[in-house]
Amino acid sequence: MRVYHSDVLCMGAGLAGERVAVEAAQAGFSVICLSIVPPRRSHSSAAQGGMQAALGNSIMGEGDCPEIHFNDTVKGSDWGCDQEVARLFANTAPIAMREMAWMGVPWNRVVPGEHTYFKGGKPFQAMEKKENEGLIHSRAFGGTAKWRTCYTSDGTGHAVLFTLDNRMLQLGVEVHDRMQAEILIHNGERCMGCVARDLRNGELVGYFAKATLIATGGFGRIYRATTNAVICDGGGQITALETGVVPLGNMEAVQFHPTGTVPTDILVTEGCRGDGGTLLDVNQYRFMPDYEPEKGELASRDVVSRRMTEHMRKGLGVKSPYGEHLWLDIRHLGEKHITTNLREVYDICMHFLGVNPIHQLIPVRPTQHYSMGGVRTDKDGAAYGLRGLFSAGEAACWDMHGFNRLGGNSLAETIVAGRIVGEKVVEFLKGGVSDFSSQALDDAAAQVQGRIGALRRGRGEDCYTLRNAMQDVMMEHVGIFRNGKDLQTGVDKLQDILARCKTMRASHGGGELSMALRVPGMVKLALCVAYGALQRVESRGAHAREDYPERNDKDWLVRTLATWKEGATLPTLNYEKVTPFFILPPGDRGYGSGKIIPGKLEDGDIVSFAQQV
Amino acid sequence: MGRNLKFEIFRYNPLTPDIQPCMRTYRLEEHPSMTLFIALNMIRERQDASLQFDFCCRAGICGSCGMVINGRPGLACHTQTCDLPNHIALHPLPVFKLLGDLCVDTGVWFRNMGTKIESWIHTAKAFEPSVPEERMDNALANHIFELDRCIECGCCVGACGTARMREDFIGATAINRLARFHIDPRDNRSPADFYDIIGDDTGIFGCMGLLACDNVCPKNLPLQDQLGIMRRMVTIESVRGIIPAFIRNKLQGCGCKQKC
Amino acid sequence: MIASSFPAGARSRLDFWQVASGAILALFICVHLILEGSVVISPKLTDGIAWLLEATCVAQIAAPCLVLLILFHFWIAARKMPFRAGELGVFVRHSRCLREADTWLWLVQVFTAVVILAGAFFHVYTVMTDLPITVAGSAKRLHSGWMAFHAVFLPCVILHTGIGIYRLAVKFGICSKAARNRVRATIWIVMGCYLTLGTLALSRVWFLE
Repeated sequence: MRVYHSDVLCMGAGLAGERVAVEAAQAGFSVICLSIVPPRRSHSSAAQGGMQAALGNSIMGEGDCPEIHFNDTVKGSDWGCDQEVARLFANTAPIAMREMAWMGVPWNRVVPGEHTYFKGGKPFQAMEKKENEGLIHSRAFGGTAKWRTCYTSDGTGHAVLFTLDNRMLQLGVEVHDRMQAEILIHNGERCMGCVARDLRNGELVGYFAKATLIATGGFGRIYRATTNAVICDGGGQITALETGVVPLGNMEAVQFHPTGTVPTDILVTEGCRGDGGTLLDVNQYRFMPDYEPEKGELASRDVVSRRMTEHMRKGLGVKSPYGEHLWLDIRHLGEKHITTNLREVYDICMHFLGVNPIHQLIPVRPTQHYSMGGVRTDKDGAAYGLRGLFSAGEAACWDMHGFNRLGGNSLAETIVAGRIVGEKVVEFLKGGVSDFSSQALDDAAAQVQGRIGALRRGRGEDCYTLRNAMQDVMMEHVGIFRNGKDLQTGVDKLQDILARCKTMRASHGGGELSMALRVPGMVKLALCVAYGALQRVESRGAHAREDYPERNDKDWLVRTLATWKEGATLPTLNYEKVTPFFILPPGDRGYGSGKIIPGKLEDGDIVSFAQQV
Repeated sequence: MGRNLKFEIFRYNPLTPDIQPCMRTYRLEEHPSMTLFIALNMIRERQDASLQFDFCCRAGICGSCGMVINGRPGLACHTQTCDLPNHIALHPLPVFKLLGDLCVDTGVWFRNMGTKIESWIHTAKAFEPSVPEERMDNALANHIFELDRCIECGCCVGACGTARMREDFIGATAINRLARFHIDPRDNRSPADFYDIIGDDTGIFGCMGLLACDNVCPKNLPLQDQLGIMRRMVTIESVRGIIPAFIRNKLQGCGCKQKC
Repeated sequence: MIASSFPAGARSRLDFWQVASGAILALFICVHLILEGSVVISPKLTDGIAWLLEATCVAQIAAPCLVLLILFHFWIAARKMPFRAGELGVFVRHSRCLREADTWLWLVQVFTAVVILAGAFFHVYTVMTDLPITVAGSAKRLHSGWMAFHAVFLPCVILHTGIGIYRLAVKFGICSKAARNRVRATIWIVMGCYLTLGTLALSRVWFLE
């Protein structure tokens, strides 16, 4: 077996992974990045919107500061976030954005003079200041008090990822692409690297590292309808979960977007509905006003998603070979509006659906979008349970998003957390001595070999059947609308699927085996989501229980920690305090009306924004 | 009911060299809004699990799924079957190392290219966390992004006659990348530096102006214009010391009204 | 940014010389064909021009220079030609798959280059060993079998020159992407005009008596 040694091993080479790698390489440490795809194809590149940072250069962001950004983030999280981390994030974000400008990101800049902007679909005039000319500009995103989203046209993720990867080339960071991390090498206390499978030839490769980083992104592919790339299968979280000692945090917190297109699940922006688009059912009847007489299609993301699901459950969805969906109608907005203000939507419909939205209806359905949960880490990005294991980005539950993340915060998190965690990794490397156990490597490799052997001998179902079964369960029972009965059914079915995985077969070495090796882990992640959701008897942010519609700050101001004991059929759930202290005490978010069962705070729990603890 | 599509797909696995490369036929019923991404996955899940191909974002952003579709390089994920005839032939991109069936190793190729052309900002300035960012004209930022939109799918290289004949040719994508750094004021490389990187037949002078790169680019990058700008700059640089400066300056400014 | 000192390192200027020699040759062809075309108006005019060029020794000096220039141009440009085993096959297969006009145009360029290289030598040799240049002399040569040669040679020269100018404009960014289709159409029209003029001139000389 080929074995590599390095100071840092980054599993995943998207924005978060590369930012950590750059930080470590700049400090002179050797870094190897593993990636299933060439780094520039990472799903980070697909993020179009932007990164939130309180720079306050644009006129609509005037007076912005990290504290306001912090407040927005905490409210957005429905008080489910770690406020210490959220503060750290808000304070570091502006520096991280400037640093990316220095590295070469072509951020859009302030152009002085009068401009026409849109708010709620309505145009208005604003005057950009002369003295801010050429500084980083910002645009509007949902749930924020100020316009603070830094952007490069409609390709922020792409531009930042390419810039970071250029920096990687400059620093000579080693990248091993087409590598699928299968298992962590550890001794129950310390993480020593991982065993990966080379997707070029199926060989197993050992990686010893003093510090190992999980930055593999989200796990959206446990759902059938997801905006995530096909590689977002939670590979990193699976390796952490399977150690039995590293907990995953808040796995039940999964964000859905109402208007993913069918069949390819590419998002069309909320702007469609903001500008007057309507949702229609199989009879081309506009159903939203029946559920939400006041707001109709413009109710919040989670509410619209839930109502759409409810309507489809009544049998009023449109049947298609790709599953049920509803229609989004923007025809009445007219050709000019569609081809100018909604050009992106127009392009997606024309290129990927073959639908002309000027004359035709757009097939849409609620679609999984983001996983707030992930490998639980402390504020330094160090995973619980194993020394030398770190995590950053969507893969982590660093926990600045709590139960709902704001648009623009996830992309910013990758760079900001990458910078902070990178520094901490460097500190860790400078401080520690390490020894590698070849026994641990052999054990890990033997385990993977064992799995591959079992798949080769398997006589049961193939991986696609089992994966599809899991995805269907997640869509049907652990979707947007959750209730005890459905969740219990979901958990039962998933347990059955997990049992069936034992006899799974994979007769071909290529893509099928890669998928087959992932499926049992994905089912475990799915069980963490479903079981965590079943146990959390309240509604908070994206986790909406029909049978417990209120936010319960009295009993549930806690974070779920899921670990998986060897041989278990369910995760073990523990809970921890949601935040070490409160800067913003729990209150009303100011949108998405819902009942709150208030909790009690001690005096010592509350600190000011500037106060360090 | 939809059409009955006939797919002819190139099959070869370098790990089993005894099995000769061949075209295998699959049949599939067409559905509305079907893209090659959907079709290929259906074939793999229902007919032939051994079929290898690459997809990632399936939204035309990541550049994983470049392949030759009925003779022309393109992105499979944003190619709809309804735009193709009943008979669809799929080949892997040429030039790149074949990994199996429709998979090619664009990753290593592009990494080598990036290293070779030093695809990063060359600056002597260090980052100052406490200082506001350097100012930049927004139009210039947009112009840089316009060239930065390349997704490294490799279609331009696969469509390039020069790259087909000369393995060491650097490709339009590399020259476009350098053009991006050329206009970026943060990068302080001079024409002489660019000359050293691409001033030979593996670089810009290898380009024969066939322009298929420009025509197949799925992101509609202005490759032709960038090739022209870079070629002119590097050519003029090549005759420094032979042609007087005032003529060179004159030549530099001629032609299209693009920023040079 | 451009310093006046001679830059260090081995400089590759072949591309510059290829373009420069090509541009001079193209200019020559354009003028040459128009002067030859004057026979359509009157053979006497053509004889007069020929006499003038010979009396000033321009023709005698230019002819061997041009042959050398053609050789030089070919020698430089040939580094791109598909000489090596299999290259031509790869390129032709590539062109057939791709169905791209500009890729085909390059093949035309290669083919006509070979024709011109051989043809130019014979053309210059026969003309320059039969001084003075007169329309009557040309007519005699045409009837003695050179008509077939010109029927092939003339279109090749016009194609190679026209495509060459177009590709020069495209390669050096003189013709932008936006203008490409327009420029290509214009070039085809101009080539058509030259071909018509050449054909007219040839028939005028052919039917002189």
